Order: sequence, then structure tokens, then C-alpha cells
Amino acid sequence: MSDTERNWHSHRDAKAARLANAASLLDGKFAKTKDAKAVLETLLSSGDKVVLEGDNQKQASFLSQTLASVDPAKIHDLHMIMSSVSRPEHLDIFEDGIASKLDFSFAGPQSTRISQMIADGTLKIGDIHTYLELYARLYIDLIPNVVLVAADKVDHEGNLYTGANTEETPVIVESAAFHDGIVIVQANEIVDKVPRVDIPGDWVDVVIPADEPYQLEPLFTRDPQNITELQILMGMMAIRGIYERHNVQSVNHGVGFNTAAIELLLPTYGDQLGLKGKIVPNWEVNPTPTLIPAIESGWIKSIHSFGGEVGMEQYIAARPDIFFVGPDGTMRSNRAFGQMAGQYALDMFVGSTLQIDQYGNSSTVTKGRLSGFGGAPNMGSNPTGRRHSTPAWQSLKPKDDPLGRGQKLVVQMVETFGSNKRPVFVDHLDAEEVQKEAKLANVPIMIYSEDTTHIVTEEGIAYLYKTDSMAERQAAIEAIAGVTPVGMRSTEKELADLRRRGIVALPEDLGVRRTDAKRSLLAAQNMEDLVTWSHGLYNPPAKFRSWS
Amino acid sequence: MEKLHFTFKATQPITHPVHIGVVASGDLEVIMRPTTGDSELDIVTGSDGFHDVWQHVLERFFDRYPIQAKFEINDFGATPGVVNLRLTQAMEALKDAQ
Amino acid sequence: MKQLWVFPGQGGQHGGMLAPVPAVLKEQVAALLDMSFPDTDAVYTDSVQLQVAIALLQVSETQELMAAGFTPELAAGHSLGVFAAAYSLGSLQLDDLFKIVHYRASLMQASYPSGYGMGVIVGLPRTSVAKLVAQVTTTDAPVYTSNQNAPDQVALSGELTAIDAVLQLAKANGAAKALRLRVPVPSHSPLMNGVAQKLTKAMAGVQLTPPQGIYLTNDGGRPTKDPEVIRRDLSDNLAHPVFFDDMLAVAADYYPQVVVSFQPGQPFRKVLANRFSDDVHQIGLASMSIDDATFLLNKWERGSQNE
Repeated sequence: MSDTERNWHSHRDAKAARLANAASLLDGKFAKTKDAKAVLETLLSSGDKVVLEGDNQKQASFLSQTLASVDPAKIHDLHMIMSSVSRPEHLDIFEDGIASKLDFSFAGPQSTRISQMIADGTLKIGDIHTYLELYARLYIDLIPNVVLVAADKVDHEGNLYTGANTEETPVIVESAAFHDGIVIVQANEIVDKVPRVDIPGDWVDVVIPADEPYQLEPLFTRDPQNITELQILMGMMAIRGIYERHNVQSVNHGVGFNTAAIELLLPTYGDQLGLKGKIVPNWEVNPTPTLIPAIESGWIKSIHSFGGEVGMEQYIAARPDIFFVGPDGTMRSNRAFGQMAGQYALDMFVGSTLQIDQYGNSSTVTKGRLSGFGGAPNMGSNPTGRRHSTPAWQSLKPKDDPLGRGQKLVVQMVETFGSNKRPVFVDHLDAEEVQKEAKLANVPIMIYSEDTTHIVTEEGIAYLYKTDSMAERQAAIEAIAGVTPVGMRSTEKELADLRRRGIVALPEDLGVRRTDAKRSLLAAQNMEDLVTWSHGLYNPPAKFRSWS
Repeated sequence: MEKLHFTFKATQPITHPVHIGVVASGDLEVIMRPTTGDSELDIVTGSDGFHDVWQHVLERFFDRYPIQAKFEINDFGATPGVVNLRLTQAMEALKDAQ
Repeated sequence: MKQLWVFPGQGGQHGGMLAPVPAVLKEQVAALLDMSFPDTDAVYTDSVQLQVAIALLQVSETQELMAAGFTPELAAGHSLGVFAAAYSLGSLQLDDLFKIVHYRASLMQASYPSGYGMGVIVGLPRTSVAKLVAQVTTTDAPVYTSNQNAPDQVALSGELTAIDAVLQLAKANGAAKALRLRVPVPSHSPLMNGVAQKLTKAMAGVQLTPPQGIYLTNDGGRPTKDPEVIRRDLSDNLAHPVFFDDMLAVAADYYPQVVVSFQPGQPFRKVLANRFSDDVHQIGLASMSIDDATFLLNKWERGSQNE
């Protein structure tokens, strides 16, 4: 066949044919709620690549439930692309044969079941990606045939308003809309005029009003009540030994209590140290309520977010100088841009993990639980193509190499033993075993040793970037690993030597007094304090309300 | 519930008692009293089977701070990290008093 | 409100436990199996008396909760508890349940008259226990890793001297607890293959319908709605370890809002408390009457609708 005979718009023709088949179910772009199943059975085709929106916060729950109800005789062997496997029906579709292959990022809430299904061959894994990697592949080799997304409000033209939780809707829709994929949207509400156009209507093919609003989890809310004195001690060490020492200007915090403690120590301990106005004005982070005191006391100048947080809407609307807020008053959270900023533009990432091996590799994948990682591997890695002039990035530049580059600070904060009293420091990650069991191409490591620049434990800080060899790196890790089997290899003599050379610092080396690590040092000690700090603008979800 | 007893050789006497920590889940309280002989530790713990971990924590502690005292420890499921925090906090408290 | 119903096996029994069971049900089962229920501590040393009585208690509690309008979305039975679990999901019928439980108990009673049993090790991971077992087990005195009730709780099944040898090694290797269980049979190990084969034959003719919820298998801890998978689990669970820890872990992935623990006793109180978050309601029928339980379930049901 010569080039002139080739059909160069076969995708467009196929899309038109599918939509024509569905014509009887559609009034313009709009379908009825009760016809949702029939719409999917008509527009989907077996073997399609299908993106189902759902990250760790926002879920296209009406469409996922509808997808799980389609007839497997009609629709089967879909290749699902989902950044988060969070809901039972996300795996039911594999059990029923509706789908057979999965590319994903995070499966925390379904991690046991997904492990079993991989072991049993019920589902085939493409890859376990970082968020950004998965989004990127939608434009390269995982171009979708159909995408299923969620919107707050849709007008009669099909314009979408995604409100405070825009998250991954734009990056998903764009991959289909400009490559003749079909864009199907579940809508909380159909309105005459949307408050803000987040996705233009001509990118949208089908809108289905949902029977109930999409699922939204207050995933990043940490009650200050549960912050321990050990976490406060570690937070104090981190502020002195890392934030201050490296003059850190921009940061991403993970979602644990360790970083919540730091957020609540900035307005108190940070102030005592005279660091206000000198460190961390710029953040890429979800709008966690524990940031409120630092915002209110003038520590934080800007926050860009991956997603919203339930209860923070009013507060955010009233602080447009800080957050990225549309003219309508709700925050725009574009997850793909957030991940990009988190990977490329930050001085520092601070996170936590369940296991760290003797070399400094870390993972949250443990035996029988294939959780995946979401955004941590983006934030917690050093993009080697970047060249920043910020003092933090420059401070990690090797002194003796004229062409040397700086590095992003990647900090892991862990207690040496978990709350289950199992050692966090281990010789070998469970992830190595999981790779074999699940026959994965790569060991599911969350953050690699080579990217990890600092580890903070209750014992002290290991400045891994200062080590010259793997043996020295191991010794530094052992020195702060407490009485775990890894830590027991460290001797007093080695510790003294590492302290002398500045590779390890104990609290006393940093001028941190352990007896100062008191809960009273936190700017807010409970949820009610956070509400007070917010001038009543923060409205905690019911499960975080212990008062009335 | 398990009762543990340890003895360590020590050289630095303390002059007055110290009480640190709290009686709460995941935490412990440590009481140290002056003594003349070896350091004796009586530990009541809610978590069974951690004799060796206690041994390691205490060996490290006495390596660094060979203090001569009679210890009473009531443990309510504290992790080794918390145990070490409370012991070293007690040392800071002693130093402040002196 | 999504409910997980948990049915334990033997262990928590005591004389008088059948007192709340309605006379009509007791008589029905007595007639079916041609036996009586003295319900004393003394008769519970007899496997058949014990196992049928436990099934009777669990069936009775199930019927009462169902009469109050509740059904499980998920059911997890431990060992003997699998039969009531399958019954609660509408898969196994009442007469079949009692006949098979009676037969199973008789086979177990006859299988190992003496010298065999079970032990438990707390505080070591399964992989470490497996290494110790491999050092000890022989053809003449076999021992196997058995049930996994929690991440750090591994049972042993086998010949008693071999079990004791593994328990000794476990203590030397840092186990928090290592002790024999008062179970006279090496349950949930390949030593029960013979019993499992006979039960498989007996179960072949039993009618099982598709369950109304998810059944969690003892073998491998898998969720299923397939009656044939349930049949296999009811038939041969004695020959496989009960992966109760996996059963609960996977049940948690379905987000149950309420966990109901059936009698006898409440052996999994701690395990369940560790596995499920504080916002999951828990009910133990060993410490609460059915009336109180239904009152709470109704209250939570209303609460979840109001949210």
C-alpha cells in the first residue's frame, strides 16, 4: 500500500463509529445516570487501554463502580492505567475478567489483595510507576483509548469545573482528547454556568451525572494530638541540622507525623532559633492543616498543592496570597504540575518509610503488601539535569570537583523501631522478596540510596552525602540505627570518628536538648488549636472532631 | 507482663533521685535513686519477649553513661527509641541539677 | 453497613455455653445427628461433642442476627469456623453443615490417638520458624509450620517431641513466647491428608450455592465467591495452614465498617484490634448479648446513613 492510500485518521474514524453506536443513549454529550452501564458497554471495546481517574485522594467512584458492573462477555481484557488502586472494585474488574493488565503507581489501600492477585495470575502488572512517570507514559506508549474522569460541576456545553480537587483530571483528559481517545466524565452536578472552566467542553465527549459525589479522602490530615516527643526531638534535630544548616528555601513534606511535627515547630522552636524569614518560604505540599500555624505566623510565603484536603476549602479561599486559587475562590491543584515542581524545583524532600536497608535504600513495600509509592520517588530523587543556584543545592556540591554539581536534599526521617517494635533498619528489604514473588522487573525500592542525602533517627542525623564510599555510608547508617541488628554493628569508636568528621551528628552536637522535646513546644497540640489558628476557617472532617 | 532484672558495673554516683517519663501507652517512666553498689535495674514491661532488646539498649546506655543508681522502670509498650530518649533525658536532668 | 463476621474454631468453649441456643434448634440438630448435648466441661473433652456444640452455637447466633435483619458481606471462619462462615453466606445448608461437622470431628478423633498435637511461637517471623522446623523435622517425628494468626504468631503441628524441640530452638532464637497448645491433633498440616481426603469425598455430594458475600479461604487467605473454591476449603482445610492473618488483611482491603466476632470465646480480640482501624466498629458476642449487639448494629446503621 502506498502512503497516499493509507488512512491517516483511523483513530478518529474508530472514535466516531463508537460514538455513533452510542447515539441512542446520548442527548448531545449527556447520558442519563441509569444508562451509565450501557454507555460503557457501548463505548469501550475489549483490549482497550483505559485510564480510570483515582489518586490517593480523589476517586471517579461512580465510573469505577459502573465499570465493575459491565458484562465481561461484552467487555474484557482491558488494560487499566490507574495512578491509585484504592477501592475494592478496582480489583473486582480483574477478578471478573473485565480487565487483565494494570499499570499503576500506588495501591496502599488494596496492597494485600493486589499481591495475592499477582501471585495467582489474576492480573498482570505492566509497571509500578511514580505518578509523573505514569502521566508521562500516557503521551508515549500508554496512549489511552478511553479515559474515565470525575468533575464537580459540568455546564450544558460540557465545560468541566474540578473545584478544589483538580488533581489528575487535566493530564488524563489531555492525553485522550488530542489523540482521538474518548473522554467520559462523571459529574457531581450539572449547572447552567460553571464557576471556572478547568477543562474546555470540546475536549469532553460524554458526561454522566453521578448518583453521588465522587469519593474524597482527607488523607493528609494529621491530628497534632498524636505527635510524640520522639517525633518532636527528631523535628528539632532536622530543623537545626538540615533546614538551618543547608539554608533550605523550598521543600516538600511527606504525610507522616514526623513532618507534621516540624510544621508545628517552625513557629515556636524555629522562632527561638531566629530562623523566621530565613528558611522554607516556598512549599510544594498538600494543604495539610498542620501548616496553618506556620502560615498564620508568617513563615510560609507560597504553597502549591497536588490536591485539596477536606475541610481546608474556606481557609484556602481566604489565603490567595499563599495558595494557588482561581478567581472563583477555590484552589487549583494540578497533580502533574505539582509532581513536576516537586521533582525539579525543590531544595529538599523530607519523607518517611517502613524499611531502610544497610545501604540506605528504602521502601514501604513489606511482605505480602505491594503498596506502590505514589509521589515519593519523584520528590525523593535527584533530577541530574537540573542546575540550581540556591544555597541548599549548592551546599551539596563536591568541594574538589570544578565541574561538580549540587544535589537535591532527600531526607528520610524514621524511628529506629516501628510502633510494632520491628526494626526499621534491616539488612535486606522485604521488597527484594516481593520482587521475586510478584515477578517484577525491578525491586520495588521507593527511594534509592544514591538519592538519599540524609537520614534522621531519634539517635541522630547521618549526612550520607558526605560519605566517600559505600562502606562509609553503611557505617554512618549503622551509627544512627540504634539497637536494630544493623545498628548493633556500630561501635563507640566508629561513632566518635564519624562525629568528629561531621558525617554523623547527635542531638548534643546540634545543640538540641532532649529534655526540650516536649509536646508543649508544638504550636498546636490538637485539632481545636488548628481551628483557632485558622480563625475558624478550617473545618475538620467529622472523624477528627473529638470536641463538639 | 514480664519482670526483668539487670545489673551493670558503674562508676559515676548520682546525688539525688530523678523521675522522668510518663505512665501512658507507648511510653515509660524511669525512676533513678542513689546507690552505692552496682547499678541494679528492675523493669516491669507490658511487652513480653524483649529481654535481648532491653539488654542492648542498656549496654549502650551504660557504655556512654556509667552512672551508679538504682533504676525502677515501668514500661507500657515503649519502643527502644522511646526508652533511650527517656534514659538520656534523665541524664540531661541530672546534669542540670548539678 | 459492610460487615465482616468472624467464626473461631475450638478453644474458647466452656460448659453451659449452649444455654442461649433455642431449644427447637437444639432438638432439631439432636434428632438429625442422633445425639444429645449435655453441655458440660466434661463432655467437651470429646471432639465430636465439642465440635458439634461449637457449630450449634455459631449457627444459633447467625440465625438470630439474620432474624434481626443483618447479613455479612465478608465471612472468615477459622478451622471449624469455616462451616458457620459458609452457612452465614447462604452457601452451605443447615443439615449438611451439622452432618459434615459431625463426620469431621469423628475422623479427627480417630486420626491420632496420642503423641501428636500443636504448638505456637510468638515473636518470630514465619520464615525464621520454617528454618527451625527444617532443622528438626524427620520422617519418624515430623513437624510442620501451621496456622498464621497474626504477623508474629506461627503455629506448629506434628509429633510432640519434635514440636518441643522447635519450641526450645525458638526460645533460644529470641521468640517472645513458645508453648504447646492443648490440641490433641496435628491439625492444619499434611499429617491430616487422610482425613482431608475422606472429607473431600463426603463434601463432593453436598450442595453449595453461590455465597451472598465474600468467603475468605483458610488455605492461602483468598477472597472468593466461587462455591467450588469454598467446597475445597471446607473439605481440606485440615491439611493446610490457616492463613488467618492474610484472611484479615485482605478483608481489610474491602473496608468493612463492622466486625462481629462469634463465640466461643473471643480468641481474636487483640488480632482484630490490631488489624482494623479505630473507626471500624467491633462486636464480640462472647461479651455481649444478641439483643445488645443488634441494638448497636442498628444504631451504627442509622449513624452511617446520617453521615
